[in-house]
Amino acid sequence: MKFSVNWLREFVDLPENPEEIADLLTRAGVETQNIETRGAKIDKVIVSQITASSRHPNADRLTVCEVDDGSGTKRQIVCGATNYKVGDKIPLALPGAKLPNGTEIRKNKLRGVESDGMLCSAIELGLGSDAAGLLILSPEAKIGAPIGDLFPADTILDVEITPNRGDLLSHFGLAREIAALTEKKLKSTARESKIPVKKTGVTIASTHECPFFSARKIDNVTVGPSPQWLRAKIESVGTRSINNIVDISNFIMLELGQPTHAFDANKLKGGINVRLARDGEQFLALDGKTYSLKSDSCVVADQERAVGIGGVMGGEETAVTDSTKNILLEAAYFLPASIRRTARELGLPSDASYRFERGVDPEMVLRASQRATELIQEIAGGTPAKEITVAGKLPANPADVSFRYEKCDRVIGIAIKPKTVDEVLTRFGLKKISAAEITKWKIPSYRRDLQRDVDLIEEVVRAYGAERIPGTDRSRFTPSSAADRAHNLESQMRERLVAAGLNEVRTSKLLPGERFAFGEKAIELRNPLSEDHVALRPSLLPGLLGVLDHNIRAGAERVAIFETGRVFEPPSGAEQKRVAILLWGNVGGEVHWRNEKRRVDFFDLKGAIELTRTGLSFRRDQHDKFALAVKITADNQRVGLAGQLTNSLASTIDASGGVFVAEVSLDFPIGGLGSHATFRELGKFPAISRDIAMIVAEDLTHERIWEVIWHPTEPLLERVEFFDLFAGTEIGEGKKSLAYRLTYRDRSRTLTSEEVNAVHAKIRERLRSDLGAELRE
Amino acid sequence: MTHPLEQLRDDALREIEAASDEQALEAARVKYLGKSGSISAWGEQMKTLTKEEKPVIGKLLNEVRNAVTAAIDTRNAQFRLQKESGALARIDISLPGTPHEIGALHPLTQMWERSIEIFRRMGFALADGPDIEDEWHCFDALNTPPEHPARNEQDTFYLPDGRLLRTHTSTVQIRTMQAAPPPIRVIAPGAAYRRDELDATHSPQFHQIEGLYVDENVSVADLKGALEFFMLELFGSETEVQFRPHFFPFTEPSLEVYVKSKALKGGERWIEVAGSGVVHPAVFEQVNKARGDKAYDPEKWSGYAFGLGMDRLAMILFDIPDIRLFAQNDLRFLRQFA
Repeated sequence: MKFSVNWLREFVDLPENPEEIADLLTRAGVETQNIETRGAKIDKVIVSQITASSRHPNADRLTVCEVDDGSGTKRQIVCGATNYKVGDKIPLALPGAKLPNGTEIRKNKLRGVESDGMLCSAIELGLGSDAAGLLILSPEAKIGAPIGDLFPADTILDVEITPNRGDLLSHFGLAREIAALTEKKLKSTARESKIPVKKTGVTIASTHECPFFSARKIDNVTVGPSPQWLRAKIESVGTRSINNIVDISNFIMLELGQPTHAFDANKLKGGINVRLARDGEQFLALDGKTYSLKSDSCVVADQERAVGIGGVMGGEETAVTDSTKNILLEAAYFLPASIRRTARELGLPSDASYRFERGVDPEMVLRASQRATELIQEIAGGTPAKEITVAGKLPANPADVSFRYEKCDRVIGIAIKPKTVDEVLTRFGLKKISAAEITKWKIPSYRRDLQRDVDLIEEVVRAYGAERIPGTDRSRFTPSSAADRAHNLESQMRERLVAAGLNEVRTSKLLPGERFAFGEKAIELRNPLSEDHVALRPSLLPGLLGVLDHNIRAGAERVAIFETGRVFEPPSGAEQKRVAILLWGNVGGEVHWRNEKRRVDFFDLKGAIELTRTGLSFRRDQHDKFALAVKITADNQRVGLAGQLTNSLASTIDASGGVFVAEVSLDFPIGGLGSHATFRELGKFPAISRDIAMIVAEDLTHERIWEVIWHPTEPLLERVEFFDLFAGTEIGEGKKSLAYRLTYRDRSRTLTSEEVNAVHAKIRERLRSDLGAELRE
Repeated sequence: MTHPLEQLRDDALREIEAASDEQALEAARVKYLGKSGSISAWGEQMKTLTKEEKPVIGKLLNEVRNAVTAAIDTRNAQFRLQKESGALARIDISLPGTPHEIGALHPLTQMWERSIEIFRRMGFALADGPDIEDEWHCFDALNTPPEHPARNEQDTFYLPDGRLLRTHTSTVQIRTMQAAPPPIRVIAPGAAYRRDELDATHSPQFHQIEGLYVDENVSVADLKGALEFFMLELFGSETEVQFRPHFFPFTEPSLEVYVKSKALKGGERWIEVAGSGVVHPAVFEQVNKARGDKAYDPEKWSGYAFGLGMDRLAMILFDIPDIRLFAQNDLRFLRQFA
């Protein structure tokens, strides 16, 4: 909310420097986001009146005005605005004036017509953000007077009020807070109202939503423009001037925090009844829009129809206009939760609903009504009814709060003298009503946020100053958790993949609808915000394809990436941790004289997958998006998918050549702290190696050969390495050549060549007989 | 007076030194140490010496022979090395080394790892919770009543079944307390979601580290000490940390954390980096209700909680101007943080 420092000064003495006020508030949790200097302390800008206006002879968009500047001779001014009429009073910058935006005004010719000064808009004078046209001044403004007389210098603070502090949403409220923080006295307060009330003429059917309602009739008012001081005041904090009655209502809200509303009494049909809307009830609001109401919204109605959405906005039909003679002034208390629901349902937040939602001060309702009545009398004349008509009951005062100094010290962490605590709380308007060991405090009506001892402790922190509480070093031994171990495993895996040259990416868990390249189902959001974030990712692969797409467009020639993260399985939304890998383009980094120059292939992918977790098996699979589909299993459970995308899918993102992707689940049992590697004795005796080269049928797998070499187990066989694969015409159609190195060792003695030969021959024989391998010597 | 053997030695050493190649060296060896070499000849002459002369000259002969042999070996080794390195002399050692391409961890991961490392040093364990949450964990349990402004379709993503995407990682506070009695000292890194339009500083998905410490007599001072330590570790010892009172439904008192550091770009002004506070007793009461016990008695236990915005911290630390760069994953961007 915007606050005028001048206005605040009416209630409390403030430091001269606005920065100091801002800093004081910010340190107390009332953050000042912006400080703006306003006012027209500009020399040579005066009040002028347009006495005649004609079309510019050479320019369609310009007019030539004759202006009275109070000097007795008229000035000719060329002007581009259209929002004025002859007789309006407008600020006039005389030649030699220097405007806040740096413009210097000179006498000059515009398209051949002399212009002896400039008529100004609000923004040109630094008086607001309205650049739409000339600033029309109040008719009372004295012609020839310096503009500074109308707009005294001021500072506007833009302050963020947290939702628990509805009591700060007025100049009086913020001044009261500043007074408490600076140990100053409030200079004036809204007077207590001792106006007689009567209880007929207004009824409340929805007492839950609207506990209290008051109305005061004021007859024979004169509706018209507001006096300059009133306009300037409300406009300085960003409220547009409408007419004197509406402006007074807004002024009261900005000053005291209590929204009020004036109806044209002659347009009301019978007495006021506050009730719930009928489902689908149509209502034309002051903003000119028709709203369809729901049955949980509270409306202010006359005997025929709704005339206001309670606490949110008045109706167009009963609005105060220039011809209004008699008004009915509403001041009420609405239930915050009800107002919040209604404003939200209708998408109609207003200054009034903003305050009611956060809770207004019940004690201020009638005081505000009285203050508004007095101002209306003063400015618009009229005769108020002797009594205010009321219905319902104002909410009870907030409950007393118990408080122990010892707990205060415990929560804050330092000892603060009870006397200091008492002073702080008293300054904030609390009253100590019991001084026993557990003290008891009466809470002021405007501080409904103070409900428990910790709320009072927070007040102590705010007033005492968080910066005066020293930080303490307090630690605690904490055993590692399952989440710690999972995190460590994931970190290690990421480090391995990074060491292998892959880059980690992090893609959005919210996917656009069309990204479902793999035909997965996904949980869709009930209320997505944009087309890009529609569904929860059921897989990491769509995200990786998106990254590939982006990088190909950005000119990348090689993409080697991985991501670890959660996916959401439809329809339950069960969350699973996975790792996914995508490889495309050439092996290795940029072009380099030492690099192996070839495209990535399935075995690059498989090698990367094998860095993620151990004990994986790979089986051929079918998938309509994969030219080569491989099922990944661990302990006979399916844990993932790998392969090469079909060309038709790859070509949708202009990826020429193979795109290799894999996705593996990371949800597997994680050992406790005890799970780690253990030492095996190093072989002391020399090993003997023998190579086997064989020609086999093309469709015989390496896995099968491996099995035959290892089973049945030969005790002396220590290690087997696969080191060559070849296929070609020399070997013959449908055949391939493979080579393995077998290493033999005994832990307790040196092997003889004969022993090794015997075992090796056994294995060779198995390969020949079991697999039909043609062994090469 | 110089003995002729000494003279021979000096001649031999000179010739060895002067030998220009292996052949010349071999010729010198033959000349002095060969079967009929001039030094070898002295071996024969020994027989002719007197009993008194024999040991003296024998010793001298040995010394001379050793000195010459050593000189020949040294010279030989020099020739061998010359030959070997000659073959390598033509290599251009200014050529670039064989590249070992190492990938990059995403900057957010790096930010997370760095933060976790600091918190672990302070004795925090990790905790975890789901992204898809129910209203109770996200709001009710955190003292955010049904009519609270944050609880609506405008700000929160809902699933068709009424569940939602957590709007903060504070949900993990609740899950951790439900699962175990105090004391608790955990941090929970994770994603959270708000219905914000994507722009340079807002993203519908963002990342946080939640922290919770519940123990006896945990105070505002303890909270300040912990977060001050963290910020100084992260941003350097020059960093200033400021705590400003604020409002969050689930902490009371609540404090926003600001940092300022000359070491950071644009660090001349205060930058908001975290929300924090003393756990609201209403949160303990909700947890007790769900647990069905009084494990979190607000009169016995107190705690502090905080939430750090990882995206924001990473943007500050790495001077990244736009939050959208994180999810775009342009390799040119990622590689800058390798």
